[in-house]
Amino acid sequence: MDVETADVNTELMVDGNAIAGELELIFGHDMTSALVRCASCAAQGMIATMMAFVRGPGVVLRCPSCEAVIARIVETPTATYLDTRGAMYLRIGHSA
Amino acid sequence: MAGLISRGFLGRRRPPEVEKRLPPGQYLVTDFPVLSAGPTPHTPVDRWSFRIEGLVKSPVSWSWSEFQQLPTETVTVDISCVTKWTKLDTKWKGVTVDTLLKNVEVDPAGQYVMAFSDGGYTTNVPLNELTNGQGFVAYEFDDKPLAAEHGGPARLVVPHLYFWKSAKWIRGLRFMDRNLPGFWESLGYHIHGDPWKEERYSGD
Amino acid sequence: MAALEWQLGTVTTIQTETPKTKSFFLALPKWMGHRPGHHIDLRLTAPDGYRTQRSYSIASAPELTGQLELTVDLIPDGEVSPYLHDVVMQGDLLELRGPIGGYFVWDVSLGGPLLLVGGGSGVVPLMAMLRHRAAQHSTIPARLLYSVRTADDVIYRDELARLAGAGSGLDVLFTYTRQAPAGWTGYRRRIDAAMLNEVIKPFGLAAKTYVCGPTLLVESVANLLVGMGQPAERVRTERFGPTGS
Repeated sequence: MDVETADVNTELMVDGNAIAGELELIFGHDMTSALVRCASCAAQGMIATMMAFVRGPGVVLRCPSCEAVIARIVETPTATYLDTRGAMYLRIGHSA
Repeated sequence: MAGLISRGFLGRRRPPEVEKRLPPGQYLVTDFPVLSAGPTPHTPVDRWSFRIEGLVKSPVSWSWSEFQQLPTETVTVDISCVTKWTKLDTKWKGVTVDTLLKNVEVDPAGQYVMAFSDGGYTTNVPLNELTNGQGFVAYEFDDKPLAAEHGGPARLVVPHLYFWKSAKWIRGLRFMDRNLPGFWESLGYHIHGDPWKEERYSGD
Repeated sequence: MAALEWQLGTVTTIQTETPKTKSFFLALPKWMGHRPGHHIDLRLTAPDGYRTQRSYSIASAPELTGQLELTVDLIPDGEVSPYLHDVVMQGDLLELRGPIGGYFVWDVSLGGPLLLVGGGSGVVPLMAMLRHRAAQHSTIPARLLYSVRTADDVIYRDELARLAGAGSGLDVLFTYTRQAPAGWTGYRRRIDAAMLNEVIKPFGLAAKTYVCGPTLLVESVANLLVGMGQPAERVRTERFGPTGS
């Protein structure tokens, strides 16, 4: 992420911490320290460190190394949609 | 809806003088919110091209300078985002899809279009909702070059549908024989997206 | 662990911290406690059913039981902060859920030395950590590097001075990026590599670092720290979005 060419869009970007509540509702416990491996570039990191775009119709989590989409979440009045195809895996430690 | 109503919290506005212009469930904004699914692509115009491909006799593409030579239209339209804001009287300048299609022979089976953008975003629109002036590729907003955070160099504008269909950073249109769902349509959003029928989510 | 549920807190005290910042103390009958660094989600509902939600870091230490403190910057064109600043009164109910997070937490059991870097209201979760450290009478070496525009923007100034007293093991360093107070001899610029080098020097490569604030500040500081050789897994980050969002 090149901070020098930053713009309003970059400023608005947050990280996986911002969707901790949503993820906890889906998975039943805190997910910010869970590891995710990018299916595009294989970089691994904690969900809290993923780029998060939260102001649109849904949440998009992107890999901080290659910017590929890791996961997407949409909340409708009746359901939650979750797409994690951009992740090779989520690794949820037992001590969580 | 049970639960707390926050004392003194008035939420957003549907001012009576413009209420009829606001689709159901929408609120008026006067700024221009920036929403996106990813970082701004920042494609330099000397590397930009616009392509029409898929179910067409042969694909066509324009460079930025070629695109600038095409006849344009200036329109003022209201736009509605599925996140509930509506902005009235937005002014755009761009090339209509009708103009673009003058150079293309579309296959009779190619009744649906997938717009595709830098950064991987896609959105689907039936062809007959892009023609007859309903869709255009805009590169000026409010008499100024379209800002990168609002989709510049160029974005699709389809004002009669929710604004997620107005793909930012557009690079082309792909003609298809089925109405395949794009980025948000494939994750719970409505395949069509008419704000006046409040077609927000699939199943609405 | 119980499922995350919305609950109602009662505003007991509202405190002005700076011209643009207020703290709200909320009594919570169903409070389960938290760890320093956790946040809550706050939800507002209008009479027509319109709802909006924001996340706020918990400013208080977990040692303050049955209640929690939120410290909120006023965003002039915002939707929620003007409501909190201008409308909410003592006795009002606010709906929230939490505690949330787990990655951006620190408590004395994790040890130190502790480097905290905060920009603007990014200092709030770091303050929860420092208040907890003090409540535990810990002398784990700690440094807070706090970046603000002007002296008027410093939140918790007096309390930070008290916490950083002789023998406390805590140093608080300010950097003023727009206008320093008269006679100021300390830092007066955006955080850069030279500043971070000086600040982290006593801790070497052993520091546990937490960086919180506007996205651009956090990106810059985290990149600089890792570039300086700080192990990436010991630099934790929380991005708030734009300055004043």
